[in-house]
Amino acid sequence: MELTDNVLEIRDLVKDFPSVRAVNNVSFDIKRNTVHCLVGENGAGKSTLIKILTGADQRTSGNIRLNGAEYAPRSTKDAKLKGISTLFQELNVVDQLTVEENLSLGMEDTTLGFLRRTDKTKRMVEAMNSLEPSIKPRQLVSSLSVAKKQIVEIAKAVATESDIIIMDEPTAAISEGEIKRLFKIIKGLRERNVTVIYISHRLDEIFELGDYVTVMRDGKHIDTRPISQIKDRGELVKLMIGKTVFEQYTLKEGACKDPILEVRGLSNQKLNDICFDVHPGEIVGFYGLVGAGKTELARAIYGADSYGGEIRFKGRRLPNSPDKVIAAGIALVPEERRSQGLFTILTIRSNVPVMNMRKISRAGFIDGSRERKISQEYIEKLRIATSSMEKETRKLSGGNQQKVVLAKCLFADADLLMLDEPTRGIDVGAKSEIYAIIRRLSEEGKAIMIFSSELPEVVNICDTIYLLYDGSLKETIRNGCDLDSEKILHTVTGGA
Amino acid sequence: MGPVAPQKAAWASKEQEGKTVSRTSQESVRGRLERSNALRANIKRVYIYVFLVLIVAIFSVAKLGQVEMFGRGHFLSPNSIVNLLRSAVPIMTLAGAFTLLMISGYIDLSVGSAMSLAAVVFALMIRSGASLPASIAGVLVMGIALGAINGFLVMKLRITPVIATLVTLNLYKGIALLIVPDGLSAIKGTAEAPMPAWINDYARKDVLLGLPWAFYVALLVIAALVILQRKTIIGKYAAAIGGNRTAAELSGISAVKMVWILYAAVGAFAALAGISRASYMSLGDPLSGDNMELDCIIAVLLGGTAFSGGEGSVAKTIVGALIIMCVTTGLMTVIPAYWQTVAKASVLLIAVILNHLLVRVKA
Repeated sequence: MELTDNVLEIRDLVKDFPSVRAVNNVSFDIKRNTVHCLVGENGAGKSTLIKILTGADQRTSGNIRLNGAEYAPRSTKDAKLKGISTLFQELNVVDQLTVEENLSLGMEDTTLGFLRRTDKTKRMVEAMNSLEPSIKPRQLVSSLSVAKKQIVEIAKAVATESDIIIMDEPTAAISEGEIKRLFKIIKGLRERNVTVIYISHRLDEIFELGDYVTVMRDGKHIDTRPISQIKDRGELVKLMIGKTVFEQYTLKEGACKDPILEVRGLSNQKLNDICFDVHPGEIVGFYGLVGAGKTELARAIYGADSYGGEIRFKGRRLPNSPDKVIAAGIALVPEERRSQGLFTILTIRSNVPVMNMRKISRAGFIDGSRERKISQEYIEKLRIATSSMEKETRKLSGGNQQKVVLAKCLFADADLLMLDEPTRGIDVGAKSEIYAIIRRLSEEGKAIMIFSSELPEVVNICDTIYLLYDGSLKETIRNGCDLDSEKILHTVTGGA
Repeated sequence: MGPVAPQKAAWASKEQEGKTVSRTSQESVRGRLERSNALRANIKRVYIYVFLVLIVAIFSVAKLGQVEMFGRGHFLSPNSIVNLLRSAVPIMTLAGAFTLLMISGYIDLSVGSAMSLAAVVFALMIRSGASLPASIAGVLVMGIALGAINGFLVMKLRITPVIATLVTLNLYKGIALLIVPDGLSAIKGTAEAPMPAWINDYARKDVLLGLPWAFYVALLVIAALVILQRKTIIGKYAAAIGGNRTAAELSGISAVKMVWILYAAVGAFAALAGISRASYMSLGDPLSGDNMELDCIIAVLLGGTAFSGGEGSVAKTIVGALIIMCVTTGLMTVIPAYWQTVAKASVLLIAVILNHLLVRVKA
């Protein structure tokens, strides 16, 4: 077959989810043997597009052609057979086998089932060593660093003659030196007849590595250009955010109180020397892109992950275990409300009081009438739209589910409420309702921490905004002053 | 920063304090981790042999003569060794395939019941006049079918292995009990239909060094499975599936097919174990395989196979099996029968703790 100039052609691709069109009429081409970068803010539709390419998700409509032929993978395995390998963040190597065994896995030469060492394995090892000489074929993969495991996987993708390797944030978990080596390898892949689709939030990498860049925003394709035609980071950032309209933030009045939460030198595997204070009645926002350490920060404070450094709450050192943290007066609205925030097969009535069962039970027996009274109270207070408190929470809409999670946390009598991505996947109406609830809570004197990857959200309601990048607090912004969204995006994508 | 409300300025000033925190030097942490990993790897390599030697030594030194010895001599006398090896035949036959299944990350709790059912069917066939080879072949086919049923439930219907094989554990045992006529505890020779003497030929008759065919077959099975695990594609694929099923499937391996085959193999070897038990006892006892799954799991875990799959060794499982046999037969001479169950549980506990400490080396 005549090979066209374009290895992949995407036409009018659409992907609908129940409440949102995640990919909206996207069309662009990917040139053969190039490094093609894909950028966009969180929620721009990159991940959905990639899921369609890797076969993890099926498109709603549209057309994809790989090497000129119709391409519609049913699964990741199918995609791989058709020539698109993916380097997932969750690496697909078998730790318990050696490097050599991993490379040849599924392609072994055998005689009557007995494994043979043949030229094929030798060639694969040689190919891998030409990418990275320090990896020994007899080494167990579990003894390799993440970066070297990636290289093993890349070598395998090359050996199976993949046309395209998709790399999803491959530098998220590896060190500076390793990143340099990985980049050299990625650049070298062009000569091996491999096209790379590269996704990263670190814009500097795009300029260093890419031949082409495609920008997506709100599910739409904004532009595809050779990198050389993009002047600088600033221009790329502008393409990514477009015209962002912020709702008006109103400065709050209030007396200066002692901080309720003091964090000093908080560090762990994902976090780097984080210091800040939160005061009663203050809404503090943590803004950063995926992998910046937002969830990790929330989990550390909540006692779900271990850490070094000191966290003081109401002047006392905070214990490192969720049940004690809750008892101290902190509640967390987690990132994934279905899997982490709710008991989805239970009713609203059963969900609301779970964080503080003592308050509704006597001698171990649940007081049904109190439970009903409290649930009714929260349904009214938070305006949860439901026909009855006996409705299973999985049957509620995203916004109403989130309100149930909020109710649960409020009933725990928390003085500090942490909300991780509080409005993810929620429609606009419910969003502003949730913001109103958050504002009201802060007026009541509760301290609020919001962890979000949506800038408008943070700007809209937070008094103080911290910018996170790579596990570190990069900048502190007092809201109500001059906000420069380009500068903010510059910071959270790793700009100095 | 522009105009800032006063109270916010106060918030800001406090952040500059307390920025001094001693960060643990990554170098030293990594060094310590590597050393402890290397130490664990070394302990893991040898501990099972040390364990076996230790147990044999303890039983040999202990003055067993003071207790009623069931006519046996010293723990290391040829007579007791032969007895120990003969009683170890079923677990030696079965544990190898069981290990491969567990390396691939799956488990079969129904092995004991499959063994009992095989024993009953075997005795029935022999008593009704079938020849020894024909009976063995027939029961083996049945064993493959029993294993394949487990494979179907787990791999096709995707029922959790523990649940699926717990169901078949009861099913197979129930069938075995149903086959045995009312009023009898086992299929055995009666006045009208005596059990032919050659039922013993397989697992009791002395062929070489006081040991029967069944023992040498078990040795052969072990040797074959050790080679299978180390040198063939089946051993490698089992480890790959247990280690990272997604990675294995992305490499084109059919996990469903592989594990299904392993389940069928475990069924076949459970049947062979049942045959040797029936042949040894000259009867088909529907309870003869009881608790075999426990013995297998202890042996596998003692042998250092990860419960979650991915790595393990058939050879070490066999050492583990010998440890169990030493403990049970050794204790048989010292303590009452009920205490043996407690002793076995203790060995299981030790196995699980060692397994946890040694196998699950954190990445």
